[in-house]
Amino acid sequence: MSITIALPSKGRMKEDALAIFARAGLEITSVGHDRSYRGRIDGEDSVDIAFLSASEIARELGHGGVDLGITGEDLVREDLADADQKVTFCARLGFGKADVVVAVPQVWIDVDSMADLGDVASEFRSRHGRRLRIATKYWRLTQRFFSAQHGIQVYRIVESLGATEGAPASGQADIIVDITSTGSTLKANHLKILSDGIILRSQACLVRSDVSDRPADDLGTLNGVIDRLTRAL
Amino acid sequence: MLGEPDFADDMLALFAARAAPRLDIPVIQPADPFLDMAGEDLRRRIFLTESETGQSLCLRPEFTIPVCMRHIAVNSGTPKRYAYLGQVFRQRRDGGNEFFQSGIEDLGNADIAAADARAVSDAADTLSMVLPGASLTIVLGDQTVFEAVVAALGLPGGWQTRLIRAFGDRDMLDTLMRSLSEPTGRVAGLDDQLAELARNGDADALTDHLETHMRTTGYLSQTSRTPVEIANRLIAKTQLADAHLDDRALAVLKDFLALEARLSDAPTALRDFAAKAGLDLDVALAGFDARVSALRESDRDVAAMHYRAAFGRPLDYYTGLVFEIASDGAVLAGGGRYDQLLTLLGATSAIPAVGFSLWLDRIDQARERGAAI
Repeated sequence: MSITIALPSKGRMKEDALAIFARAGLEITSVGHDRSYRGRIDGEDSVDIAFLSASEIARELGHGGVDLGITGEDLVREDLADADQKVTFCARLGFGKADVVVAVPQVWIDVDSMADLGDVASEFRSRHGRRLRIATKYWRLTQRFFSAQHGIQVYRIVESLGATEGAPASGQADIIVDITSTGSTLKANHLKILSDGIILRSQACLVRSDVSDRPADDLGTLNGVIDRLTRAL
Repeated sequence: MLGEPDFADDMLALFAARAAPRLDIPVIQPADPFLDMAGEDLRRRIFLTESETGQSLCLRPEFTIPVCMRHIAVNSGTPKRYAYLGQVFRQRRDGGNEFFQSGIEDLGNADIAAADARAVSDAADTLSMVLPGASLTIVLGDQTVFEAVVAALGLPGGWQTRLIRAFGDRDMLDTLMRSLSEPTGRVAGLDDQLAELARNGDADALTDHLETHMRTTGYLSQTSRTPVEIANRLIAKTQLADAHLDDRALAVLKDFLALEARLSDAPTALRDFAAKAGLDLDVALAGFDARVSALRESDRDVAAMHYRAAFGRPLDYYTGLVFEIASDGAVLAGGGRYDQLLTLLGATSAIPAVGFSLWLDRIDQARERGAAI
């Protein structure tokens, strides 16, 4: 039998992930050619490496398509309902740091907190003939934060798959929920983060899928890899 | 329960006999009205799809909104009663995702007390017909009375809105009352110059500042909140920064929310409460009394009904009466007044509205339990 580990397929996330494996003494080589999406660990025949996009990794962990993966916590919590019942966050890896935040136009000088935003949202319809619009790709995180944590029900989500920070200036949405690492993109677009508007402090994590039972030898292999990686941190 | 329950025809006959003919509503509905009214939280629970042209469609999650939309389109000028019976589709943690509901919507009747009493009576009589001999618990609440209490306390407008918004959700309301009991101190997130303008209530200077800011940053000032709106809210917020909900107001609110009584005793209990708290609630209580009288006149046993002051629904289109009818702990009917809904859905004039819906799968289970005994 064998287990599958999913790693980011490109960019900084890929390099940082490979570096952690290297530090743990687990050298990953590509299978076939350099740009291949399959890999293996030298000396570990029972481990397959799959290079996937970061959100695919989150989804695959959620239905047990892979056993272990490195991806952002934001993607896991956004893509999986009841994430904590499906996966375990084994370690935070210290890279890929970014916050999922609620940001409003800087010009909204009367809005500093979620409570302010709740007031604005509740009056929005009577003032503007429509609900407050939030541009985001984080549907689930937004709903949970607004509805469950802050009791704000009346708003509409406008799906945004890129350049979310431009939506308020162009009138597509009033505010945004987006990911930011330094906040400079938000500032450049004249947006500010609410004082209690951090939904999630995310970073790359080592995540184990818990949705299917594994044979004992696979479990041994998996725990061995997790152990070596966490000790290398 | 996948097929129509065997008591469906009897129910529809009763509805028709009470001047509420059945309206057929398509299963596939535009999703936007539901999401606009109930909020995005509903999105997770409805079955959404998209048309070829990109329109969001859903399987009807309930009947009230489509019935109201039909009324606006066809009959908006005349009062009318509608009945419905059919499957609704909602994802639930417990129970199936498709289940039957029926009910009556009474739209445009200006006699509020009579229409309220009729809704409660229709729901109770329907349940008595399909569950002969079952003991039904009827609980009523009234959003108007809570709004009157908050207004009579002389609380600032912004606080009133927040409290009314949380009414019906006890946890949210308690959290809010706690946070309002603490003064916020200074308004956070402002530079000195703006804070000064806000303290002086200088709306014009603030508006100028905001307009300049929007022009230089390329923000469109017509598509979202306007400079005037922002300036006025900032000034109102600044004036409230040092204020807090005082002990007396807090005690009055808590006393009110703890109020429970037999409906027959509720008018007196509410008057006693108002006298003790020193609040003028006459207008709201007149409406409350009229409803109780209307229920008496339609031969309901108001001593057997319960009034719970904290009972409400935290959705902004509910306005007055709310009620629930339960048997053996299972809620079989829920209803209330939603005078804001038709305006929110686009009606050009105000249309009073009251209605109820019945959970047919729960009724069916109650019937089976009854048959087994």
